[in-house]
Amino acid sequence: MAKNILIVDDSSTMRKIISRSLRQAGLDFGDIYEAGDGQEALVVLEKESIDIVLSDINMPNMNGIELLREKRNRPAVKDIPVLMISTETGEDIIGEAKSLGAVGALKKPFTPDAVNAVLGPLM
Amino acid sequence: MNSLAEISDKIIAATIELFTGMVMMDISVAGEPLITLGPLKKSITGMVGLAGVHKGILAVHFSKQVALDITSSFLGVNVQEINTDVQDAIGEIANMLGGNLKTILSDRGKDIQLSLPSTVFGDEYAVSSQVGGDQVILPFQVPSGVFYVHVELRH
Repeated sequence: MAKNILIVDDSSTMRKIISRSLRQAGLDFGDIYEAGDGQEALVVLEKESIDIVLSDINMPNMNGIELLREKRNRPAVKDIPVLMISTETGEDIIGEAKSLGAVGALKKPFTPDAVNAVLGPLM
Repeated sequence: MNSLAEISDKIIAATIELFTGMVMMDISVAGEPLITLGPLKKSITGMVGLAGVHKGILAVHFSKQVALDITSSFLGVNVQEINTDVQDAIGEIANMLGGNLKTILSDRGKDIQLSLPSTVFGDEYAVSSQVGGDQVILPFQVPSGVFYVHVELRH
């Protein structure tokens, strides 16, 4: 069954580009949902049937690290895998994201091939 | 410690990677780095700030036409006026290059904080910062004109 994906990024441009890259990567996915920050993401996660979250880190209101931390406390959504897509790829930050449950990280800028390599195993 | 020349080389590589791999636009270096830049006319600037062990700014300066062409290529649609899509796209370019600069300066990442991107545009303006450090302005050529990546840092 095709996976439903939630893209979390405060840049509408980046959400469109990630969505386009998913199509260009040739991945078999279902519906794509969007959220502009962690708070919006939690609302979508609790309302829709999401299989994978692709999240930026540096966002206003609730950033990607805070989203991971908050999601862990919500039983209905805590097991949904989150892949970080960010300019923030320092070892300390990615280490913290992984300790909070992130399954991997993709560095911006990225190509469709890079999206396929990181996201493909989750599909 | 990276010198400004070493940082410039890495920012040039990152900018070319971003434009060829993600914006999908031909790009080349347009001459030697500049020390200063005069007033910007009919332009848009995207900017991020760095704080922590390194303080500074990374800004990208585009003429209106170059910004429209880049946004059109980035989004795969024809954009004809400076609108929120253009501001968002230019801000995101600054954000991605700022992330690269942060990684160049600190591969661990937590000792430097990157601000959210901001954009300004207008008929004529100048960009200056309170950082008071070394600066370099890197010119790049794309099909519709020249744009500049502007780095100012204080260690």
